[in-house]
This record gives sequence, structure tokens and C-alpha cells, in this order.
Amino acid sequence: MTTTAPPPAPVRSAPALRPSWWERFRNGSAWIVIATVALFIAIWEFFPQTGLVNRVLFPTFSETVAAFFQLLGGGYWWEDLAKTMSAVAIAWVIGCAFGFVMGVVLGTSPFMRQAITPYAIAVQALPKVVLAPLLIGWLGFGAESKIALAVIICFFPVWIDTMVGLALPSANEFKLMKSLRANRWQVFTKLQLPSALPMIMVGVKHALLLAFTGVIVAEILSASDGGLGKLTKEFASQLNMGLVYSVVTIVVILSITLVSIADVIERRVVFWSEESRSRKK
Amino acid sequence: MTTMTQTAPLVRVEGVTKRFGSGDKEMVALSGLNLEVREGEFLSLLGPSGCGKSTALNIMGGLLTASEGTVTFSGEPLTEPSRNIGMMFQQAVMFPWRTTLENVLLPVEIFGEKKKDFIPKAEELLEMVGIRDFRDSYPWQLSGGMQQRAALCRVLLHDPKLLLLDEPFGALDEFTRESMNQELLRLQDYATSTAVLVTHNITEAVFMSDRVAVMSARPGRLVDIIEVPFDRPRRPELQTSTEFIKLVAKARQMLELQ
Repeated sequence: MTTTAPPPAPVRSAPALRPSWWERFRNGSAWIVIATVALFIAIWEFFPQTGLVNRVLFPTFSETVAAFFQLLGGGYWWEDLAKTMSAVAIAWVIGCAFGFVMGVVLGTSPFMRQAITPYAIAVQALPKVVLAPLLIGWLGFGAESKIALAVIICFFPVWIDTMVGLALPSANEFKLMKSLRANRWQVFTKLQLPSALPMIMVGVKHALLLAFTGVIVAEILSASDGGLGKLTKEFASQLNMGLVYSVVTIVVILSITLVSIADVIERRVVFWSEESRSRKK
Repeated sequence: MTTMTQTAPLVRVEGVTKRFGSGDKEMVALSGLNLEVREGEFLSLLGPSGCGKSTALNIMGGLLTASEGTVTFSGEPLTEPSRNIGMMFQQAVMFPWRTTLENVLLPVEIFGEKKKDFIPKAEELLEMVGIRDFRDSYPWQLSGGMQQRAALCRVLLHDPKLLLLDEPFGALDEFTRESMNQELLRLQDYATSTAVLVTHNITEAVFMSDRVAVMSARPGRLVDIIEVPFDRPRRPELQTSTEFIKLVAKARQMLELQ
């Protein structure tokens, strides 16, 4: 921000104004998206028919759409959907809470940071999926092992982002608080936590997708509890690839929806962050 | 001419030395500083970069403790920040998640007082510096100068006896800086507080102050104090008068003689 700039008009919580679809049609930017999607569908439709790939393994677009509606009409997968989503929700909440607490403990206590950093590095380096057999062995084939794996996979970014975020305030900001004789709790709640919030939101969003991944991996590995992961595995073993594609599509739609909701929430909560402000322009 | 009644000084700095680090890495930032700040005056600490003037200011504000020597404030030894001392830094330090008014009211929250009781005073101050219309705007919607105006309101909200200003307008452009200095003098007069300004700008130091304490480079020591006899309120035209230019030359000479 330049200091010589004329005083900007007071903006009263202007909501994000993105070009509407209609505007995007008019200025032509929407056509690029439409053209690439159409091209993708065309290749999907005709390539399997050329005989270069096995049609059983690679169904065409229209066959996939038909399978998709067959799946939707079937109704039997609702239970799997509910199981997956509830496991994701539980794992996400636990993972975020655990990551946040760890981040606060390590971000405010240099002693704890010293003590725990070696473990943090080890956990970060570990491909956490390798723990799945161990967790299934400990917790059985039910929802518990799914949730546990997802928690272990998803808490990490929240932890690190909280820890880093709490250290973001500048020396001058800490000095201001000190000159006002703010106690540690006030420095934490009035300076560090709000400063960390944009980063924490990024970690929380990241955790959402990781929790999804964790649950689905666990479902594929231990199919007995059901879930969307189990469905893909079953359909694949029946060589019903159209249905596999359909489940994948559902997962894609779900994750895009969840991330979009998270984005909206993020823009509301940390409307003042550099990130949110640059996206509004 | 500012008439000064001979009362006890508001701040007395006696033999203050400040060392940072230890062993080979030890750095003496201040060496045996003696300084008195009189009630109601405007004093500048003028010196080159690294002369320890900011360190001295932080010690007076209770943010740093002296390695040797003592500081007293209103006759009491000063060991920690006091709510009678307000500090301003090089940056405005406005929290982007708070509106201008909420930023100005931050000290109220930290002191555990009722915000409601201070809103009229906060609005009056914002009005005085001409940004009342921006009370509900966020700092990032304001220019740098406006942010510093808000910071000035925040520091004046509790009528501090002593204002410690660490190059508060150093990051602003020349024009904004001059008008902010005028604003500062006006508000200091209004709040009847004592002010200590740290600066490396000779003209600014002479224009603003009743006395200018000239300091030498590392380790920081007090070279001399220049009395500035001009009447208040001071007009910008003062800066072109012969007497003013003579005082500036005198200060410059002192800085170069070290």
C-alpha cells in the first residue's frame, strides 16, 4: 500500500464479486472450459471403440453415464456413502482438534518444540498408509481403524500450520502487546491466534482431503465395514468398470463440494488475510 | 519560549549501559547514558543509525532492562511497561482483522476495561486526526499515513503521561511525514503529555523539540543537548528562518564531530 494514495473509500464488507457465468459466456472465457470438457468426453467416448484398449476395462463415456444412473437408481450404496462420510467427518474433526492442540502446545512452548521436533520430522517423513495394517490389527476391521488411519494422515498439516502461524506476528506486534502489559493469554488470543487463522484454515482444508483419502484407503484395505472404497474394490473385482468410474465420479463431486464449502467458509472467516483480499480482486 | 517550572524530571536516566550478547559477541549498544526528560517537554533523541537511541527508548518504556544504571519514571524505578507510558513504533502495527475503531480500542480490552466507556473518546480522537469516517474500515483499506493516525489515537486513548515515539513516521513519504509531525505536535499539546521522539532526521528533531539530545554512534553516548527556543505552535515556515538553520547546522556539526 502506497502512502501517497488518496484515501480509499471505506469498504463495508464487500462480498467477493466474481464474474457470473453469464458474463463469462459473453467475454468468451467460459467457452475454453466448455471446449476442453467436450473434447475430453469425445476422446473418452470414441477411443475405447477403436479397439486399441480393452472395452471391458475402459468403458466409454455413455456406458459410464448409464452405469452412473444404474448406481444412483440402485440405492444400495447410500449406506456406503453414509459410512464413508461419517468416518471422514469424525476423522476430520478429531484430526483438526488434535493437530490444533499439538500446534498450540509446540507453538507456544519452546521446550515442547525442542522435545517433539525429532518425532515430528519422523512422522512427516513416514508414508502414513504403511500404518494401516497395524491399525487394522489393533482396532479391527470396523470404523475405528478407518478413522484412526484418517486421523493420522490428516492431523499433520493442521499441526504444522498452527505452529507456524502462531509465530507469524512481527516483532513490532509483540512489542505493542508487551508495551500494553498484555499477559500471555491475551497475546495468544488477541494477536497470535488471529494471525495464525489464515494458515490454520489452509491446514484444515488440506486435512479434509487427507481425511477423505485416509478413509477410502482404509476401506479398500479392510472392506468388511463397507464404504465407497469398498464399493470400488468390489466393482473392480467384478470387472464392472463403469460402476467403478461412477463411484470415482461421486468421490470427485463430493470432494469438490467439500472444498468449495470450505473455501467459502475460509473467505468469510479470514476475509482480512492477504490471500482472501487478493482473491477478491 | 517554553517556560519550564523547576520540578523533578518525569524521567531520569542515570548511567544506563546496555549490552547485548556475551563473550566475543558482546555488543555495547548504550554506554553510560544520563538523561532527564522534563514534564511537558518534547525531547528528541537524535543520532546516526546504530547509536542506541531506539534501545534507550525501549529502556525508558520498560520493554528492555538496562545492564547497568537506573531509570525512574515519576520518581519510581521503572522495571516494566506502564500504562502511563504510550509507545509508537516505526510501523503503525494495526491488526488487519480489527476495524480502525477496534484497533484504537485494543488497549481498553487488554486493560480489562469496558469498551463502551471509551468509544466516545476514541471517536473524538479519530475526529481530531480526520479519520472518523474510517472507523469501521479495516487497516488495509487505509493509507500508511492514515494507519499511523489511528495508531496515534490508540496511544493517546489513555492519556499517557509520556509518549515514546520510535521514528513513528519514518516509513512514510516526506509530505505525509510533515503533516503527521504537525498532527503529533497538536495532539501532544491537546493531551498535555511529555514526548520523546527518536529520529535520525536533524531538521525534524529541531522542528519538533524543546530540546534535542544528540547521540554518538556505537557505543551510544550522549554528546550534548541543544535547547530549541522557538515559540509554539510552530509553523512550517520556521524551517526557513536563519535561527532555525543555525540550530540545524549546530546539530549537524555535533553529529560530525564525534
